[in-house]
Order: sequence, then C-alpha cells, then structure tokens
Amino acid sequence: MKRSYFYISTMLIILLGLSGCKKFLDEDLMGQQSDKQFFQTADDAELALTGIYNVLSFANSDNRIWVFGDVASDDAAKGGIPGDQADIGLIDDFVVSTENGNLENVWAIYYEGVSRANKLLDHIDNIDMDPVRRGKIKGEAKFLRAYYYYWLVNIFGDIPVHTTTPTPEEMQKPVTPINQIFVEVIQADLIDAAALLSDEQTGANLGRATKGAANSLLSKVYLFQKKYPQAEAKALEVVNSGLYDLIHIYKENFEAATKNNSETVFAVQHLSGQAPWLGNRLNQWFAPRVENGYGFNVPTQSFVDAFEKTAEDIYDPRLDYTVGREGHHWFSDTAMFNPEWSPTGYMQKKYLQPLNEVPKELKADGELNYVFIRYAEVLLILAEALNEQGNSGEALVYLNMIRKRARESYLYDKDLPGYGTIPDGLLPDVISGSQSEVRDAIRHERRVELGFEFHRYFDIIRYGPDYAYEALQDKVNFNYEKYKHFPIPQSELDTNHEI
Amino acid sequence: MKRFCICAIIICAFLFAPKLSAQSISGIVTDQSNVTLPGVSIYIKGTTIGTIPDIEGRYFIEILEGDIVSDSLTLVLSCIGYTTKEFRFPFDPGLIITRNVVLMEEAEMLAEFVVVGYGVQRESDVTGAISIIKLNEITNLPVISIDQALQGKAAGVQVSQTTGQPGESVKVRIRGIGTINNNDPLYIVDGVPTKDIAGILNTEDIESMTVLKDAASAAIYGSRAGNGVIIIETKKGQEGKARLSYNFYGGIQTHGHITPMCNTEEYIKIFNEAAVADGRDIIPDGIRPQLSNTNWLDEIYRTAFIQNHQLSISGGSANSTYLFGGGYQQQDGIILNSAYERINFKISLTSRLTEWAKVGTNLNASYSARDLIGGSGDGYGGNGGSVIRYAFFRTPPIPVYEKNGEYSDLPKFEGYSRSKLNTWFGDGYNPVGLANKYDWKADIYRMFGNVFANFDIYEGLVFRSDLGIDLTVVEEKRFNENWGTDGRINSPNSLVRGSSTAFVYNWTNTLNYTRTFKEKHHTSFLIGTEAIQSDFREQVGSDRDFPNQSPSLRYLGNGLSISKGASESEYGWSLLSGFGRINYNFDNRYLVEAVVRFDGSSRFTSDNRWGSFYSGSAGWNVHNEKFMSNFNWLSQLKPRISIGQSGNQEIGLYNYISILNDDYNYPFGGNLNYGYAVEVLGNINTTWETTTTYDIGLDMAFFDDRLTVITDYYWRFTDNMLIPVPLPPSVGSASPPFVNAGKVLNRGLECEIFWREKVNDFKYEIRGNFATLYNEVLSLSNGRPIAAGRIDNGVFATLTEEGYPIGSFFMYEMEGIFQNELDIFTHAYQGPNIKPGDVMFKDQNGDGVINEKDRVHVGSPIPKLTYGFTANLSWKKFDLSFFFQGVYGNKIYMQINHDIEGFYRGFNVTKRYYDNHWTGEGSTNEYPRASWIGAANNKKASTRFLEPGSYFRLKNLTLGYTFDFKEKAGNGRLRVYFSVQNLFTITKYPGLDPEMYESNNLRGENVKNADLAAGIDWGTYPIPRIYTIGINLDL
Repeated sequence: MKRSYFYISTMLIILLGLSGCKKFLDEDLMGQQSDKQFFQTADDAELALTGIYNVLSFANSDNRIWVFGDVASDDAAKGGIPGDQADIGLIDDFVVSTENGNLENVWAIYYEGVSRANKLLDHIDNIDMDPVRRGKIKGEAKFLRAYYYYWLVNIFGDIPVHTTTPTPEEMQKPVTPINQIFVEVIQADLIDAAALLSDEQTGANLGRATKGAANSLLSKVYLFQKKYPQAEAKALEVVNSGLYDLIHIYKENFEAATKNNSETVFAVQHLSGQAPWLGNRLNQWFAPRVENGYGFNVPTQSFVDAFEKTAEDIYDPRLDYTVGREGHHWFSDTAMFNPEWSPTGYMQKKYLQPLNEVPKELKADGELNYVFIRYAEVLLILAEALNEQGNSGEALVYLNMIRKRARESYLYDKDLPGYGTIPDGLLPDVISGSQSEVRDAIRHERRVELGFEFHRYFDIIRYGPDYAYEALQDKVNFNYEKYKHFPIPQSELDTNHEI
Repeated sequence: MKRFCICAIIICAFLFAPKLSAQSISGIVTDQSNVTLPGVSIYIKGTTIGTIPDIEGRYFIEILEGDIVSDSLTLVLSCIGYTTKEFRFPFDPGLIITRNVVLMEEAEMLAEFVVVGYGVQRESDVTGAISIIKLNEITNLPVISIDQALQGKAAGVQVSQTTGQPGESVKVRIRGIGTINNNDPLYIVDGVPTKDIAGILNTEDIESMTVLKDAASAAIYGSRAGNGVIIIETKKGQEGKARLSYNFYGGIQTHGHITPMCNTEEYIKIFNEAAVADGRDIIPDGIRPQLSNTNWLDEIYRTAFIQNHQLSISGGSANSTYLFGGGYQQQDGIILNSAYERINFKISLTSRLTEWAKVGTNLNASYSARDLIGGSGDGYGGNGGSVIRYAFFRTPPIPVYEKNGEYSDLPKFEGYSRSKLNTWFGDGYNPVGLANKYDWKADIYRMFGNVFANFDIYEGLVFRSDLGIDLTVVEEKRFNENWGTDGRINSPNSLVRGSSTAFVYNWTNTLNYTRTFKEKHHTSFLIGTEAIQSDFREQVGSDRDFPNQSPSLRYLGNGLSISKGASESEYGWSLLSGFGRINYNFDNRYLVEAVVRFDGSSRFTSDNRWGSFYSGSAGWNVHNEKFMSNFNWLSQLKPRISIGQSGNQEIGLYNYISILNDDYNYPFGGNLNYGYAVEVLGNINTTWETTTTYDIGLDMAFFDDRLTVITDYYWRFTDNMLIPVPLPPSVGSASPPFVNAGKVLNRGLECEIFWREKVNDFKYEIRGNFATLYNEVLSLSNGRPIAAGRIDNGVFATLTEEGYPIGSFFMYEMEGIFQNELDIFTHAYQGPNIKPGDVMFKDQNGDGVINEKDRVHVGSPIPKLTYGFTANLSWKKFDLSFFFQGVYGNKIYMQINHDIEGFYRGFNVTKRYYDNHWTGEGSTNEYPRASWIGAANNKKASTRFLEPGSYFRLKNLTLGYTFDFKEKAGNGRLRVYFSVQNLFTITKYPGLDPEMYESNNLRGENVKNADLAAGIDWGTYPIPRIYTIGINLDL
C-alpha cells in the first residue's frame, strides 16, 4: 500500500517534469503584436507604411524643421515670450551646443522615420502579396526614407546611414559624407520610387507620394548637388507630366478648404479631431498668444523688405498672404493685426487658421497641411537649373510664370483692394539679364515665393558663404563653416561610439 | 471560594467514581516557571475522554474499562503557545498514575525548529542567514498589513510605508537595493508564493515569519529569491477541544507634528516685503477686514477611528484539526475622506486519512475597500496631487467656505480684480474641497491558499504535494468632479473605471528524506519540482462630460463625450523549476548544506530561459566540542559561512520581443488611416539577473541562552542587471531593449541581540537589532546614468550612476547666501540677476560659472543604518512593552519646501522661513531673501531643500493586564491592553513625517522604479498616531 503511493508520487513528479515541456513556458504576447507576428500580410505592409507616413506629421511638437529652415535664416526670429523655448533662441543666435533640444528632436524624429521605412523594406519582399501592390508600397517607403534623409543631411551634413534595420553591432555607425548620402541613398531611393510610384493619387489615397513627388524631390536633390542637367531633366519631367498647375490665388495653397490642390506636389497631411491627434500643431506654435498660440517663428523686417512694391507702395500680394502686419486684417474682415503680438511686429500666416475654423481650445489641432513641394518650386528649380547651365533666357520663362501668377492675384482674389486690375508696375516680368542677374532674380523669387516653407536656411547655405554672410549679417555668431550644418546632438554622441 | 470549588470537584470525583475497573491518572501541569496553565486541554488520544486542569494546575482523568479497547494509552496535554506533550502508559484498570507535567513555551520550541524553504530545520542546524519573527512580537500592533508588522523586527529588513494613507502599500527591502528593477521580496505563505501580501492576512493569523536573507537560505527559491524571501506560517488548529479566540482593538488616530506656517498677518508682511523688493503691488491694508485666517493643515485633519475584530475557533482530534476565523478591520484616515475597510475569512483544515497520509487546506478570502485621496506627489502621476500639498500652499487669508456655503476656490474679495487677488493670495486649490470632492474607490477581492497532501512513504521519507492559488480582483473607480471658480478644476469632468484580475497558481511537489546514520551522521535530502503560472487581465473604460454630476449617475455611458475610452490588456508568465537540498550534520558539530535550483522562465527565449542557482553553506557548533565543556557560561558559539546565488526574474515579461503598437496613424484623402510601428525593441539575449551573496555569521548564546547574539556580515553582488542601455537615436526612437549589463553591490553588518531574564514575578526580555548598509552601483556598462525622480520639466532629483548608491540625490550644492555685492562679484558667475540675499551655489568644477555641470551627488535616500528595539516586561499579570524603531543616515528631498520656502508663486510660506529669511548683510546664511525674481535662482534643485531623514520613533507602547478565569466551557484568559502607536518621533526632518518611499509621481515617469526615486517629499500623507484599547480573549 505504502509502496504503491510511493510509485504514484514518483509518477506525479515525472508527469510534472513531462508537462513542463516547452509549452508551459511559452507565454505569448497578448493584445499587442510582435515583429515576428507582423509583416505577414499585405494589410500588415499597409499598416506599417502608414506608420512611416505618421512621422511626417506636425501633430508632433518635436517636429522642428521650421527652427532650422526659418528661424535660423534671415526670414524669421524666434518670437514667443522671452525665455520660452530658449533653445530655439540659441539657434536663432547661432549659439548652438550639441545639447540643444531642437537638434535632438529633429534628429530623433527623422531617424525614426528612416527606421520605420527600413523595417518595412526589410520585410516586404517576404510578404506573400500582389506584386503590383508591393511595388507601390516599396515606392512610397523609399520616397519617405529619401524625404527623411533629405532633411537630416540638410540640417546635419555628414551623418550615420542605415538602410536596413541594424543589428546591435551595426547600431554603432560612423558618419557617411553628405555627398555620398545624396548619391547612394537619397538619389537611389528616389529613382527607385519614381519608377514604382503612381502618377496620381486621388480619392482615398490623396496625400500619398506620387511619381511627380519623387521626381520633384529628385530634381531638388540634384540642384543641391549642383547637378544641373539632371535637375533640369527631372523638373522638366514633372512639368511635362501635365499633372500640376499654378493655382490662381496663391493663398489658397495655405487654406484648409483648398488644400491638396493642383499645385501641391507633396504635402504633409493633417486632419483634426482624431485621437491621437493628427492635426497641425503649428497652428498653435505660430499663432499669437491672444488666440491661445505661442507666437513662435515670426517674420523679420528683412523678410518683409524683400517683397517688391510698386511706385505707389503697392506690395507684392504674397506679402500679405504670408505675413500679418500692422494696419492689415488678421484672418477676418473685422479683426486687425496687432503688432504687439510679435517682438518683430509681424507674424506669419501660412500654417494658421482663423478661430472660426479651429477654436481656441483646440488650437493645436489644426487642419492645414505642410506643403513640402509646390509646383511653384519645381518651376523655380527648373529655372535655376537652366540658368546655371547658361540658359538664362529659357530660365526666365519659368521664373516669370511665378511672377505672373503672383501679380494676377489681382484678377482672381476678390478680397484684394482694387481687385480686377493689376496695379501698375507690380511684379513685372524679368525680361533679360546676365546669368548672374537672373540668378539673383531667381534667388529673390524663391525667398518671397517660398517664404516660411522651411527652405530658406538651406538655400542660403547652398548659395555659398558670400551670400550667407550677407544674408545673415545681423547674426554676429554665424560662421559659415561651423554652421553650414548643425552639430550632431549629444545623445547620439553619447551612445554611438563610432562618431 | 476557590477552595470550595476544588473541594467540590474532588468530592464529586469520589462520589461518582466507579469503585473498581477504572484507572486514574492525575497530576499537576505547569509551565517551566512553575506557573499554572489554565488553558491546557488534557485528553486520551483517540478517545473523547478528557479534562482541563483546575486553577492550581491539578488534573484528574479516570478511564473506565469499557471505554477502552487498546492496552496502551497516550495522554496528550496541549495548550496554545506551548508545545504539546504526549506520553504513553499501559491500560491497567485499578492503576493510579501520578504524572506532573511541565509544558514548554512554544517560543522556545520554535527556537529549536525554524521554518526554512520547503521544510523545517533545527535552529542549531541552520547555516544560512535568517531572521525569525514570532507571533508574540507582532500581535497588539495596530497595523493593517502584516508586512508593516515586520518593521524594526529583523536586522537588515527595511520596511517603509509609502505614505500614511490607510491601506497604502509598504515597501520591504531585504539587505538593500540590488537592482534598478524590482526589489520586492518574495513571500511564501503556507507554501504559496506571492509578491503581494497586502490584505491577505491579519497579524493575529500569523504563527511565525522567517526572513531568508542570504543566498544560501534563499537559493532554494531560485530565480525569485534575489531580493530575499519571507516565509509566513499561519496559525493552524491544534489537537484538543474547541478553542475560541477573540481579539479586538479600537481607538482613535490623530496627526503628529504639524509644520508651522504663516498666518494671515505674517503672510501679508512677507508678501509685501517681497513686493517692495521686486517693485510689485503690495497687498493693500484696505483689504484686511475681508480676510480670514485659515490654518489649512488643521482644516484637512480630523480625529479618525480605527477598529479591528478577529474571531477564530480552532481545535481538533487526533486525526483532524481545524481553524475557522474571520475578521473585520476599519480605519479612517486622519485626512478627510480617506478610509480603509477589510473583511476577511480564514479556514485551515487538516485530516489524517491513514497513518501515513494527511491532506489539508489553508484558505484566506478577503475584501478590502479603499477610499482614496491624493496622498503624495503633485499630480504628475495622475492622482490629482497630494491634499497635504495644497494645504501647505493655500494662503491663510482665504476662507474654507464662501458665504454661500460652497468651497472657496480662487480668492474672492470685493473691490479687487481677480488677477490682483490671484497674485496676492495664489491660485492653489482648496484642500478641504479637494479632499472631499475625491470620488476614488478601490475594491480588492483576494482569494489565497492551498490544498496539500502529505505522504509518509517510508521511515523518514515524506512526499508532499501542494496546489496553491492566488487570485486578486481589483475594481477601481475615479470620478473627477468639475468644480471651482468658473468650473476651472477638472474641466470637463471625467470618469475612469478599471477592473483587473490576476490569477496565479502553483503546484509544488517535494520529496524529503531525513535519516541519521550511526547516531552521528544526520542527513536530510530534499528534491522537488514547482510549476507556477500567472495570468493578468485588465479592462479600463472612461467617459467624460457628465451633464449631471450626481453620484448616482457617475457611471460609464452617462457622459456626453463621443469618444469614450475602452482598453484591455492581458499578460502572463510562467516558471518551471526543479530543486534539491542536502544537509549533513556530523555529531551536531559540523554542518554543511548545499542547494541547487533550476528555473525555466517564460520571460526569456527558449535558448536563455533556464538558469541554475547554487549555494553552499557550512557551520560549526563549537559549543558542542568537548574542549568547550568548561565554558558553561557560553551556551552557543556557531560560526557560519555561506556563498550562493539567486536570481531576479521580476523583470519585463516580454523583454525579448520587439513590440509593435497601433496609433501611428496618418490621414489620406481626409480620412484616418491606421498605422503600426515598432514601439519597444526586444533583446532575444536577455537572461537572469543574478545575485551572489557571501555571508559570514556568528551565533552566540550565553548564560543558558538568556543572552543571544546573532551577527552577520554580507556582500551581495547583483550581476547581469537588466538595464535599458540607451541606443543611438539614429536607429530610431523605439524604447531601447534591456541588456544584461549592470552590477550593484550591497554590503553590511547585521546584528540581533536578545536578552531575557526572570526575577520572581518579574520577567523581561529585550530584543534589539541593527543593520548597516552600503549600496553602490558598480557598473552600468555602456549605459548612461539614469536620471529619475522628476521634480520639474527636465529636472530630476536623483541620478543612478556608477560609483554612487542607487537613486542617489544629484543637484547643486548650496554654499550659503550672498551677503553683499562683493560676494557676488568674487564668486563664480551665477547669472545676471543675482542680488545679495540670493542662494550661492558651489562651483564644483571650478570653471567660474555655475551651470548644470556643477551638480554633484549629495546624499542618498537609503539609510546607512536601520534599527529596532523591543522591550517586553511583565510583572505578575501586568505586561508592558516598548518598541522603538529608526533609521539613520538617509536624506529626503523636500520638494514641498521648494514650493513653500522657494517663494516663487502665491503660496503660503513656512514660519521657519518667515522668521529666518535674509533681510540684510549678516542676517542669515541659510534662507534667501523674499523675492519672486530671486526665486528663479534660489529655488533651483539644490541641497537647500535636502534634509536629513534619520529618525528614532517610539513605534509602539503597550500596557496590558491579564485576567485568568474559569467558566463552564473551560479555563480562559482575558487580556486587556492600552496601546499607543507612533507616540513620538525624534528627528531633524522638518516635514510632517520622515517615513515615506516613492511618491505617486512615479506613475507618470519614464523610469518607473520606486528605488530610483525614493525619498522625495511633495507633501506626503503622514503616518497617524494611534491610541487603542484592546482585548485578547481566549476560551
């Protein structure tokens, strides 16, 4: 009897030992997906692709490319109340340490975009799915990776490059020279993307990258490398596609009702009323404090002065489309702009919506897109590429398209005083000029046409030290060699021992 | 009267005794001090024949021939608190046996046998470092939770309450802080493992607690033992007649020390002083008639009730024992609207099926309900902020209630604009309103226990199988009522309701063999297996914009919000183990023990999941050597040594997996598209954190064990500590994976001393213990120092860094006050606006500029020394006990002083600051000038707000008197006592209470480890002083 119990108990122990086979210790992740389970289906690929787009958004306050594109430039000052966001002020003043929070923010966000793109591109070829759909997804992912690297190299110069998800060893990575990144990563991705992407994205797909977006960015990247024939070719391809147009009223590029119009080549999409937010926080960051904004990134006098005016002091209409200034209305027929809202007396308008569209309490959830490439810029790239190749005459054709649209605002915009007639001498066509004069005209046109679209500082730098020192003469700490690119942030230096 | 009773009994006995064919057995039963024991039950084993002794300890049993079939009988004498004694005698009618019996106190019995992992061991055989706490040391303490009862009772066991709010959790740290991950010990209650004993048991349910401190004694619990193990045995039924035990205490609680704050007049005076200095508007005299003079700390406190009832009935026969118990506890908080209540039941049964098979169960069920308010932190952790904090802030001129009877909010006085009033009197919340508006409840249901079977297979060979469960259901509800001026507080109103179920079961099998060979070779072997699995589920729903805030409508669905929140999560873990232990004892002189445990955990990949943990220990009972026979005064001398490893598996459940999450969306075509992204990176190579402990100890006893001294010195190394080593941001911003990289050292000296003596009717015993602790992070590998304890945006109070203790305070060092312009000029540059009267910080790196690089490690929240001291005295029927407890050498960062002495907003100011602040050259070198402009410099996180956390506290004082009485059912005992908890505290700490751990803010932080952010006082709910009267009734 006793003995039998002994056997039973021994068996119990053995049974337990057996039941303790692997299964007992396998606890699956529940309610969440692991990267092992994911990337199995076409839907997973789409979800991951959307995840890459997600990084574009200005719903994230840390998306600070405007600090580098605008505040660092001669177009804008920090704004806001003194002391608030001191790190932005330090960039404005070119007292930039590696610990400046804006460096860290942009670095982290744009590399996160790269990382998400890498992850999807690593897996997509192993997903059993329709090859056409796969191609489209790859094209979009590559475009986005190029977009993120475009910003990273423009801001930071030589940086570490990952084009696949790194192993722990590969995470320690030395920098690659900027020119190599332009050629081997950004150009390569954009060429692939252009081949894979659709010509148009409409309806439920509106906002996705298109062939035109890839070619436009490609032409811009060539331009930045001074590869003018290639820049010309790609820009021309976009122009000849016939898919884009300069819309009649410039300011409609920056209005919610007319976003994603035929001038938009690629825009970061925003949508309010979502959880988590997908609205545009710049609507709060750039708005005056009286409207529950923070009042950052305000235009300088130099920017305002850059706008042409007629003998009768009638300004290029783009000034008041872009800038709020004393004596002018502020987003409505009744409210006037109050120069006390801004330390410079000006505020910019391109990302702001009136309170009747976005109420005060939802100020940070704006509806406006950030238009990264407008067709207007493609034309200006084409003009510049032609002019730099000595073809100034043809360049002027494209330059004058921009000027014409601006002055013809008077023919289309009923809100302009004197609507119906173009004021005398307003923005006349540039008839002729030397290559250098045309170059100056194009540079001027880029500044006023694309003001506050986060491009100015990078233009200043690529125009070279002479231009830069002239443009940034008020900034005593500016040094071209030092600030051609901003320093790699401390958090990267601390953790990446290969730099 | 007494004599009459005795006579009557004797006469009766003679009257009814049959003349022949009966056997009698009689005698006197006493304890070892020759004191009679009224509660002894005396019976013949296997029969219903029994009796109880009379008042002088005499017993008499008569056995009739017909009642008995056996020819050998066993007399059993048992008494609660004493060892049961049995002796056999032949059944021989007519024989008269006289047997006087001395019962030994169980305390001494337990001193011989101690509970260790998966078994018991003779204390003289123990070779590891353990501390034992017995029931009589912890009964009478009016503590709600049994882990609280451990405080000050065992060397090297630091127990701290997180706050004094009723039902709040307790932090137990054994031998320091070994890791930046979980540092909570493992509890084994009647064989069932758990990490959380809150609410399961009452102190009265506990028979003994054994703390396994070194790896040698804890390694048998392997991967869960790295932070030490506390084994709790609960009371069981005992053979004998039914016994009833009822324990009650009830009383009142009050607050202790109150920090003196300014009254209205003083507040206005110092406000106006600063206003003049800074060129601001002063508070005009004209407003004075309208002002109140509220002492907000007084307003939020109340005298609160506490009561506790425990009833148990126990008993048993030779074949089965039982214990049924139940209890009710209720404690109101000393701050408004906080309370705790608990109902619990306990059943313990054993039944002997055959001579060699026994089955049994221990089951505990409880329901606890908490009414919560903010007890710590500033609300960053989501609790709405500590009520105490607002009581400190709120300025005295504002009344508690407006004229319409509603709670005041923003200051409202006629004839002045709101913005002026806000500047003058602040916009801090009304703490009375805040406390009373809390509608935050947590209900906790727990079922905890086991069923077991025990088989005596062969002589000395025992097989035991245990099936344990631990079920916890938590229901939490919080409604944030919209109130205040223009409805500014909690706008819009909102409701969160969560429900979680945690279920853990374990199945444990052990085979134990004990044998002595050739009289001198005592051996014992243990092998066993254990399987543990846990599942946790939680659902959280939320709603907002309730049009009607009536309590009866505070239910999900009644809000107007279109986006109602719903979330659900589930996770699980499992652990499979095999273990073994060998003890060998030669002639009670040389002792060795070896332990091994293999653990497989679901928290690692299959390649890394198995860990093995070994330990070995040895001891030498020198006093049993022949050459020691002359040293009569030395009753024990036992050096011990041990080395061993244990693990810490209390780490993330899925560290090895990269996890994707949703919510990475993007709009296309004006419509939301869902997106996924990797949020957490996994590391498939993660494996166990391992703790290696080296321990040398010496047990000594003198004068027939009247004095016992147990001393240990240990070194405890945590290796392979799992830390999230930050990755280069260039690989993306998903949370970095955990890597086995860090190394931590804890070392210290522990000593427990026990003295007892008896002089006639006067008995006393004194127990003291102390432990020192040195804690250092030896390595964080490539990891950056970990900043934690957020006190402001981007400002952290602690930095865990190589070469310093875990959670060490890291900040500027205050050097004094700038007395004049020359001081400012000659000192390192501190900024443009520095004026005489401002705080001077030390230029640590000597670069002539005060900036972030001048922050240094300035102290640690970990006490260097912890100690406890208990004295129990009894004279005749009186008993008196004192229990002191304290810590020494730790620091507390008084974040609350940053607010009430930092002078940067419309907050009230401490009297200490008011009386002592800088008013001119030479006035003080401690408290800066009153100026809001100066505050930007003066309130920087610095040693200015760092205070000593040492304290010495009379934790408990109890005076009791015992009545022995006799009534129908048997002899009984009634003890009545009066007790005071936390009667006084000696401390330099200027806050309300130096006893605290992490604040609620931890919940909002990125680094969620209590030990990395301990000792930050945001205004913490203090521990109450409790006056109780109680009774212990045993029948």
